[in-house]
Amino acid sequence: MEAKSIEDVRELATEDIMSPWKLAWRRLKKNKLAMLGLYILAIMVLLSVVGPLVSPYTMEQMDLSNIQSPPSLAHPMGTDEVGRDVMTRLFYAGRISLSVGLFAVVISVVIGSVLGGIAGYYGGFIDSLIMRIVDIFMSFPFLPLLITIAAVMSDWKVPPQYRMFVVMILIGILSWPGLARIVRGQILSLREQEFMQAAEALGIRDRRKIFRHLLPNTYASIIVSATLDLGSAILTESSLSFLGLGVTPPTPSWGQMVQVARDLYTLQMQPWLWIPPGICIFLTVMAINLFGDGLRDALDPRLKR
Amino acid sequence: MPGTITKRGEMMRQYITRRLIQMIPILIGISILLFFILQLAPGDIFSTMMNPHMTAEMKEELRHQLHLDQPAYIQYFYWVQGVLKGDFGDSFYFKQPVTRVINTYIWNSFLLSLVSFILSVIISIPIGVISATRQYSRFDYFFTVVALIGISIPSFYFGLLLIKWFSVDLKLFPVSGMMTPGVNFVGMEKAADILYHMALPCIVLTLSSVAGLMRYTRSSMLEVIRQDYIKTARAKGLRERVVIYKHALRNAMIPVITIFGMWLPGLFSGAIITESIFNWPGIGPIELLAVNNRDYPLLMGINLILALLTLLGNLIADITYALVDPRIRLK
Amino acid sequence: MADDLLAIHDLRTYFYTEDGLVKAVDGVSFKIKKGEVLGVVGESGCGKSITAMSILKLIDPPGKIISGDVIFEGINLIELKEDDIRKIRGASISVIFQEPMTSLNPVFTIGDQIGEAIMLHQDLDKVNARKKAIEMLKTVGIPRADEVVDEYPHELSGGMRQRAMIAMAISCNPKLLIADEPTTALDVTIQAQILELMRNLKNDLGSSVMLITHDLGVVAEMADYVIVMYAGKIVEEAEVVELFKNAKHPYTIGLLQSKPVIMRDEDRLNSIPGQVPNPLHMPSGCYFHPRCSHAMDICRESQPELKEVCEGHKAACWLYEGVI
Repeated sequence: MEAKSIEDVRELATEDIMSPWKLAWRRLKKNKLAMLGLYILAIMVLLSVVGPLVSPYTMEQMDLSNIQSPPSLAHPMGTDEVGRDVMTRLFYAGRISLSVGLFAVVISVVIGSVLGGIAGYYGGFIDSLIMRIVDIFMSFPFLPLLITIAAVMSDWKVPPQYRMFVVMILIGILSWPGLARIVRGQILSLREQEFMQAAEALGIRDRRKIFRHLLPNTYASIIVSATLDLGSAILTESSLSFLGLGVTPPTPSWGQMVQVARDLYTLQMQPWLWIPPGICIFLTVMAINLFGDGLRDALDPRLKR
Repeated sequence: MPGTITKRGEMMRQYITRRLIQMIPILIGISILLFFILQLAPGDIFSTMMNPHMTAEMKEELRHQLHLDQPAYIQYFYWVQGVLKGDFGDSFYFKQPVTRVINTYIWNSFLLSLVSFILSVIISIPIGVISATRQYSRFDYFFTVVALIGISIPSFYFGLLLIKWFSVDLKLFPVSGMMTPGVNFVGMEKAADILYHMALPCIVLTLSSVAGLMRYTRSSMLEVIRQDYIKTARAKGLRERVVIYKHALRNAMIPVITIFGMWLPGLFSGAIITESIFNWPGIGPIELLAVNNRDYPLLMGINLILALLTLLGNLIADITYALVDPRIRLK
Repeated sequence: MADDLLAIHDLRTYFYTEDGLVKAVDGVSFKIKKGEVLGVVGESGCGKSITAMSILKLIDPPGKIISGDVIFEGINLIELKEDDIRKIRGASISVIFQEPMTSLNPVFTIGDQIGEAIMLHQDLDKVNARKKAIEMLKTVGIPRADEVVDEYPHELSGGMRQRAMIAMAISCNPKLLIADEPTTALDVTIQAQILELMRNLKNDLGSSVMLITHDLGVVAEMADYVIVMYAGKIVEEAEVVELFKNAKHPYTIGLLQSKPVIMRDEDRLNSIPGQVPNPLHMPSGCYFHPRCSHAMDICRESQPELKEVCEGHKAACWLYEGVI
């Protein structure tokens, strides 16, 4: 019965809870760089989603009479070594790279916020245990670990079309510790605050306290760090695929498409094959960083004068 | 006064010892993690080294020699036993002890990483400070953009662009390697030749770390110059230069040092891709070689060394931190 | 006048924030005589500290001194170049800040921080500056001064830190000491000690003091002359006894009534209703009228000027229009 009353208070307060988000959105809209980032990102997403539908070619359609041809009217970005249209592959690669990045971040946010929340809330032994695991993950050089696991996993003979799922899970599982630390830190300071002592006095269940009362207060920092993590996840995927340990042919990804440039002849003579995918990675990651920085300024105005 | 210094020195010694001891469980955790990741590989992790012409008996003999007939956890203890004696096993690919292979290449990595680390520090701190003191100036905007590019561009792509522009098209720098092949330079000429080869990979590594360090320095500095003690310093009549470079910078560097500690080993692992693009004979290409040839003893050795370097980097950062910030109690 | 140390005339310091213009100090004029303690009273955000910082031109962007004169010993500080005003800061005019916790640099020793100002303004070398620093620490009543000189701020208590701040401020024999809420962050017993110390030092050095506070008790104890500020303007000024006995402005009266007085038969403390107005949306007319129980029509329409309401006593209030 007591618990119901605090719920009522929460309902009443919903309007007040909404307004900081609206305020943040208004601040964000004023930030030209952040909006530029958002627009670039929207264009990249749109091209990846709509591009393949409007392209006259399919991803694997080969034009053997027309291989390695420079950009032309029929193929605006030329063709590759088996006569596939580079632009069409670029659209498909965008789908792969963006979705791998996105789901990797979703996985890491779920693991990171749950474990960080539990560690921060319960403290004591559970906290030390989780934080030691975080320490181990964080004192491990990220890329070598990733490369090692990716190599082991590629021995599993996962069919190429499913490789992208392996990559997203892998990146997700390896990137959660940073977020867990942030969430734990925030929970630690939040639980000392009065509204939590009120919840304590009302005898609300632990799970409810963590998920309904504590975590929502950390959304702002989770969103900011998830956005910036999205950029690094996309970079990680592209590096991994570039090294041949991520998404494997025939499924394209931006990083993997740059791989052809390791051949000096292609590097010098066929720039249309590797320059565009690199630009795509660069623009996407830059747009995400611009937007993420703007988001941080909007949600945490203390940092800005 | 001398009393306090020795007291602090003694505390520092205890602190370092304690931290070194604390590293042990983390190292154990890392080694377990690494070992069991390799167990995830399908089949026998040593299958790659088996010569197809070997008889079943010979195979059995070899497996027994390498303790492969034992359960995984027993194998782990045998491996740890070796590592503690400095024996990481033999590399399948090089047919040499892993330690010797690592020793051959890691110094080249050190050289490249150290030069680019020093460059990053020299470049990023002054720029970060000036950006903060002139927030929203043209200078600030320009380097914010540079930092943004540095953070957003994949290192492999930037490296390839540099090779295309400066090595292939303009022929200003060598495409790859560390020394001009077929020529035996000595002394200064050798050093110059190495520097000449180092230029492009160094630019790639420096850009990426400068970008991050610059932003950290800037935001830390912005935070500090709003503090009350900066106002006190100005009210004393100090020159703005003294206020910024003495009173503010010393405080602003405290969090930046932590980032340096994280960067130090990051330079190694981050250099893996850059080194391999420029064929720099460091630990990076060797790690990839080990990966591609499933040379597990070598892979384990490299990863363990990198993890150790990471831990040492964090330790160095913490010690420096304690030296710079008198508030840190060494506990 | 010959015995004026500092004369401020029509000082305006505005802040150009992202959300709009804030007139933090809006046409303030006052004088400080030699050896006088001027109390500046008002709620937080009324522009007391900004006024003090404007004297030394220590206003950070987006703040800016728009106009006004600050005449100190015949020189207009507002017109001085950065290099010249620096020679005044910490030497002829020095500041004690509110927060001893955050006003000392955490990474330098107390001795370094005091010695820095001494070396700068008195042309002493490091060894002698250190000696002087220890001497100053003794002057402000810090025990074990020769040890404390090598300690870091975090090793001292709040009261000791504030003493060290005062040692730093008086180390160059300033003619004017600006004390910005010097006792607010301290415990009550420590407050009394610090006030006592300041009073003694002031008498020994013959300095003038600009004492900024929201605490009328501190003013009653220390000040000779008092100005009351509200929303960037002076609303009342008088000698301390006159002000306490015969407050005119409803805001000052409100402040006095919100102060507990022992032995007086009152059931409860009065407080001024309402809040300090949002600096971005100032009310029309008299800034205080929404909180004033005597508000009249004219108060909503136009702003009263600061005028003499009886001898040596000025107030800016329509209630006293035409009294003299």
